[in-house]
Amino acid sequence: MHVSLYRAIEAVFCKEMRISLRSRSSWLVVLMFALTTLSCVSLLMQGDVLSPRLAAAMIWVILFFSLLSGAGRGFADEEQMGTMTALSVYGTSQAVLFGKSLFMALLLMALAMVVLPIYLVLMDVAVFSLPVLLLTLLMGTYGMAMAGTLLSALMAGARVQNGLLPVLMLPVLLPVLLPAILLTAGCFSGETHGSYLVGIALYDAIMTAAASLLFDFLWYED
Amino acid sequence: MKSYEKGLWLFILLLTGSLMYAVFFLVPPAEGLGNLVRIAFFHIPVAWVSVLAFLVSAWYALRYLRRPQSRFDAISAESAKLGLIFVVLATVSGAMFSKLTWGAYWNWDPRQTTIFVLLLIYAAYLTLRSVIPDGQRRARVSAIYALFSFLTVPFLVFLIPRFYFSLHPSPLLNASCTIDMDPLMLRVLLASLVDVTCFYLTLLYHRVKEVHHHET
Repeated sequence: MHVSLYRAIEAVFCKEMRISLRSRSSWLVVLMFALTTLSCVSLLMQGDVLSPRLAAAMIWVILFFSLLSGAGRGFADEEQMGTMTALSVYGTSQAVLFGKSLFMALLLMALAMVVLPIYLVLMDVAVFSLPVLLLTLLMGTYGMAMAGTLLSALMAGARVQNGLLPVLMLPVLLPVLLPAILLTAGCFSGETHGSYLVGIALYDAIMTAAASLLFDFLWYED
Repeated sequence: MKSYEKGLWLFILLLTGSLMYAVFFLVPPAEGLGNLVRIAFFHIPVAWVSVLAFLVSAWYALRYLRRPQSRFDAISAESAKLGLIFVVLATVSGAMFSKLTWGAYWNWDPRQTTIFVLLLIYAAYLTLRSVIPDGQRRARVSAIYALFSFLTVPFLVFLIPRFYFSLHPSPLLNASCTIDMDPLMLRVLLASLVDVTCFYLTLLYHRVKEVHHHET
């Protein structure tokens, strides 16, 4: 049966959604991890007021580590459940990659939307430009989801899984993190540098293209 | 060891010896930097080779993906291992130079940041290699990672100078494409570049042959 790429991606996306609705506990853990990191930072600051630059760096450190605890699940779950073979029989590489990473992007964005308001309240930070902040979050989480899906596919079959993803992710994600921190700092202080949004978008696009090309080599292993 | 390999090692040894002499006795102290400039004859070639080793590693990763041969994987892996050593040497010698001239070992200068990211990539690549037991899968996976992480390099080269303030001396070829250096110093520097590159290539050749021999 031949299905269009769009339908195939949609099918994988729906499958991911159904499975994660079925096993809510795994996402509960990720959410609790995010909240724990957040409260850890906030508690240990002991109510100090951070400069915009520092506040921006801190939220991205929290997001980086807490979201990555979820982003690595993509293929580890398949491997654990023994469904990898079935997926590789039915799904083409592109459908699997994009279905999984788009769903991951959605979830990470949702998580970020939970973490961010709590952070803003706890740290007492004012936001001057909400649209830019949301756009930055959207593109940052998309980049994390895309790279996270490819890297978690690479990690399948590794002897050690714990903590490996942040190690592999940091160098790849730096071109997203650095401008994202600058943009967020701009949103907190009132002076936004819109040109960095273009930079993140460009890097996201390049990462998408590269992941799409490279994933073929992984999926169709001979 | 074949005779031409011995000859190559002898050449490197002689070149290194004469360079040592040139660096410590012939090169004049530089304006502003004084005798500290002698560190540059070690630092610049080592930094160059750490970038070169990364390029070689990524190139052979690409070749491996196009045609899976264990030799390509061995070159990619061994080049990364050597690259890690060179990048650590470059970082340490740079930090020493930085302490002696700017007063701090580390201040996230753009170049320090770039070399540090390179260090992170090498470390992540070798970590990934160490955790995958199956040989063929390891080769494929690490080749993909090498190429994926290679993407960040051009971005960082543009991005990082905008984020961090630099005190680093301007590169050899500055913006106006003129070489602004004492002619003797330049010759010694070029010779040391050749020397360290030869050293890297010979080591790489030797290591790859050993690994290949061990596998077959």
